[in-house]
Amino acid sequence: MTRVKRYLDVVLKTICVSLFALLVILVSWQVITRLVLNNPSVWTEEAARYVFIWLSLIGISIATGEKADVCIDFLVRKVPVFWQRWVEVLAYLCTLSFATIVMVWGGWDNAMLTWDQKNPVLPLNAGVLYLAVPVSGALLTLYLLFHLVRTLSPSYTGVEEIAPEDEVEL
Amino acid sequence: SSSDDSSSDSGSTKTFKVAFNQNSAHPQAKAIAEIGEKLKEQTGGKYALELFPDELLGAQAETIEMVQSGSVEMAIVGGSLLENFNPDFAVVNLPYLYESAEHQMKVLNDPEIVGDLYSSMDDKNIHVLASYHGGIRNVYTTKGPVTTPADLKGQKIRVIGSDTNVRMMELMGGVGTPMAQGEVYTAIQSGVLDGAENNELIYSDLAHAEIAGFYSYTKHLMMPDTLIINPKVLADMDEESRKVLTDAVAASVDTELSLFQEGVEAAKAKAEAAGAKFNDADVEAFRTAVLPLHEERLTTDVTKAIYDKIEAAR
Amino acid sequence: MTDAATIGFVLLGGMALLLAIGAPVSISIALPSAVCMVLVLGWDNGILTSAQRMFKGVDSFPLLAIPFFVLAGQIMNNGGIAARLINLAKVMVGKTPGPLTQTNVMANMLFGAISGSAVAAAAAVGTTMSPMQKKEGYDKAFSAAANVASAPAGMLIPPSNTLIVFALASGGTSIGALFMAGYIPGILWALSCAVVVWWYARKRPELNATSWTPFPVVVKTFLQALPSLTLVVIVIGGIVAGKFTPTEGSAVAVVYALLLSFLYRAIKVSDLPHILYTACRTSSVVIFLIGVSSIMSWVMSFTKIPQLMAESLFGWTDSKVVVLLIMMVLLLIIGIPLDPTPAILIFTPIFLPIAIDFGIHPVHFGIMMVFNLSIAVISPPSAPVLFVGAQVAGARLEAVIARLMPFFLVLIAVLFLVVFVPELSLWLPRLTGLI
Ligand code: NA
Ligand code: NA
Repeated sequence: MTRVKRYLDVVLKTICVSLFALLVILVSWQVITRLVLNNPSVWTEEAARYVFIWLSLIGISIATGEKADVCIDFLVRKVPVFWQRWVEVLAYLCTLSFATIVMVWGGWDNAMLTWDQKNPVLPLNAGVLYLAVPVSGALLTLYLLFHLVRTLSPSYTGVEEIAPEDEVEL
Repeated sequence: SSSDDSSSDSGSTKTFKVAFNQNSAHPQAKAIAEIGEKLKEQTGGKYALELFPDELLGAQAETIEMVQSGSVEMAIVGGSLLENFNPDFAVVNLPYLYESAEHQMKVLNDPEIVGDLYSSMDDKNIHVLASYHGGIRNVYTTKGPVTTPADLKGQKIRVIGSDTNVRMMELMGGVGTPMAQGEVYTAIQSGVLDGAENNELIYSDLAHAEIAGFYSYTKHLMMPDTLIINPKVLADMDEESRKVLTDAVAASVDTELSLFQEGVEAAKAKAEAAGAKFNDADVEAFRTAVLPLHEERLTTDVTKAIYDKIEAAR
Repeated sequence: MTDAATIGFVLLGGMALLLAIGAPVSISIALPSAVCMVLVLGWDNGILTSAQRMFKGVDSFPLLAIPFFVLAGQIMNNGGIAARLINLAKVMVGKTPGPLTQTNVMANMLFGAISGSAVAAAAAVGTTMSPMQKKEGYDKAFSAAANVASAPAGMLIPPSNTLIVFALASGGTSIGALFMAGYIPGILWALSCAVVVWWYARKRPELNATSWTPFPVVVKTFLQALPSLTLVVIVIGGIVAGKFTPTEGSAVAVVYALLLSFLYRAIKVSDLPHILYTACRTSSVVIFLIGVSSIMSWVMSFTKIPQLMAESLFGWTDSKVVVLLIMMVLLLIIGIPLDPTPAILIFTPIFLPIAIDFGIHPVHFGIMMVFNLSIAVISPPSAPVLFVGAQVAGARLEAVIARLMPFFLVLIAVLFLVVFVPELSLWLPRLTGLI
């Protein structure tokens, strides 16, 4: 299972990095078309918005995978490890219910509702763009299940410290 | 309070929620209020309307989806947005199509001319009840009055983000620059844009008169706003109430038009007080320049037929 | 069953419960909001509309500035650009206690003034400054708190989209007059943050420089910082001169910082994926939060909770002071879960006529409202600036909130000044003949 997660991490990171690079190029191109070519691009802003949405929604799933999302867990830390486990399981189940019911189910319904709605400037239907929500929900579900299994495993030692500290090196 | 009433006797009154993107003083909001009063009175309190102004429930494009899903029953949305659901709608949004606001309202609310178009999206849960006058769009700029297409040369004018609008501005002589309305004020102020195009109400309400003082009557675009409803809601009403609703809607079109024209006068006075100058432009020169667009965009039999009927009613 | 009171109870109770069990802040907002959505719309439409609101909450071009400024900040750090700029700031601030944090406060004021976005300021300046401060022994949570607290100053200092929204909602208050009126309260905001930083740092010798830097060193530091300064000049100058919008400026900042770092040979192409990925992860967390917050905004608008609260609170007093106090407290409370734009759109039509009845000038009222709601964007649980600040500093949220308390107190004191001393807002617009 850990191997599956590592594989998924690599794939998603690659997607995020590529989308982010694409985003920088798109917005820079928008500035260039207006300032240098004096012929503002119609589609770059629209395209940038949707690349940004996909990037952010995929980004949140791996951020959750790395437990980089924001929590206030000082209360949980105060209870005994035995209870910490069950409180943490409860918190995961809440997140899981949002990811599966609202994001996957509701998001899928929403994508289907808008499947034949055209975009005014891009050759895509709105539903394709809305698919970002259920896709992100499905990825979140995978990561949450992974965390859930780890929390329930015998090696559980209490709520983990979350500190994305080593990231900004000088 | 009013909200208390609607929740306390919700068993007997069915309240339709109407999403709207402008404030509650707008002529279209007043039209909705008028429809609501008639509906409540003439159905004996069976039905009522409740307006959600100021984009509180979302931008126009989003409220269409809410009507489709049934989260809200009705919404007022720009006619151009309906092109995303049925491309044939493009025909009613063409520049230099209508002779006057009265001509526009006459043809757009004539079932003989647009009847099938308005029910063409029923299978997508969108039904058009009526088209309202949404103002006449003119060009306004920071640098000086615009009277001929040559005056717009090289000027970056904010337009609605669609190929048609960018192409229209190109034919008018300028550089059509799509941008979200929320960013336009600072973009004009800083010089990212040289101007924009819109009706007098928006020009004055968004305080663009403070920063782009030259409003030129190019009269290029009259895009209708449409009142849409989920067709299932319409079907669920009893026949009598449905007739009350559609009659009230039809009557509100005239109310809205006269309120709009009063609003234009007030907006103009306010903009002038803020230092704006209004000037006429060579409309024929602009119209001639833009006409090729009609040929380019009329690609289906449906749109050609509607176009011919609109032309015939001039 | 689904009246406003029930919705309010589910929202607040659910949020408190989820936060207590350590669920992510985003989920603590999202899940109760989605439950309310199902209560008012039924199951199918409830989950569908929740998903739609979440998508639309993220779907905004100006939000793009967040990942871009975080990215630019990280490139500047890795590329040595930030270090040169901060050295310059340090020799200029001299013996002021807590020089780096003071620099952060001032940079936020300038940056926020230009970009008009508190979140973008906290992201760009915080990403650049927090690693430096950590290295020099500053408390991570305190420097994050100072970054968060000072970021909204730019919402008051023009240009400001928030003031434009008020102008529209108020039915045409002059934007020019509002912009003029925002200067003094905005600068007061930043100064009050500087005072808190000074108070904190003055008794910590490790945060104080011992002497002024000799002049030749100042010149050398300046020359070294010159190419880095050009970045600031290009981005800020480009926005001011109308070459690009603030959102586009954030992309220009990324490109320029990247070129400069390659020039300094401080970054290799092979470093880029890691930098891009960390910036993406940091901003995604914030963007997701903004997305789910719009589910809550929608439910509150739909059930008209804010209007009902307001209606039930007025009408029993005719004292100007009491009415103003009720308004301010109500805005502070409602601003806790709600974002400034919907709050302004909902409350302006209710409050402004009452305020005008009491002889308050609409421009003054706009400033007090925006000041108030600027405090709200840093107050949890719905506080994008706070989350971005904690994220880019890598600090624990509850620690940052604790360090924010003195800032809150001082800012609320300044809010009362702004409310009860109209001249702070009206003097400049009068002087320039705008009102
Ligand atoms: Na600003
Ligand atoms: Na808040």
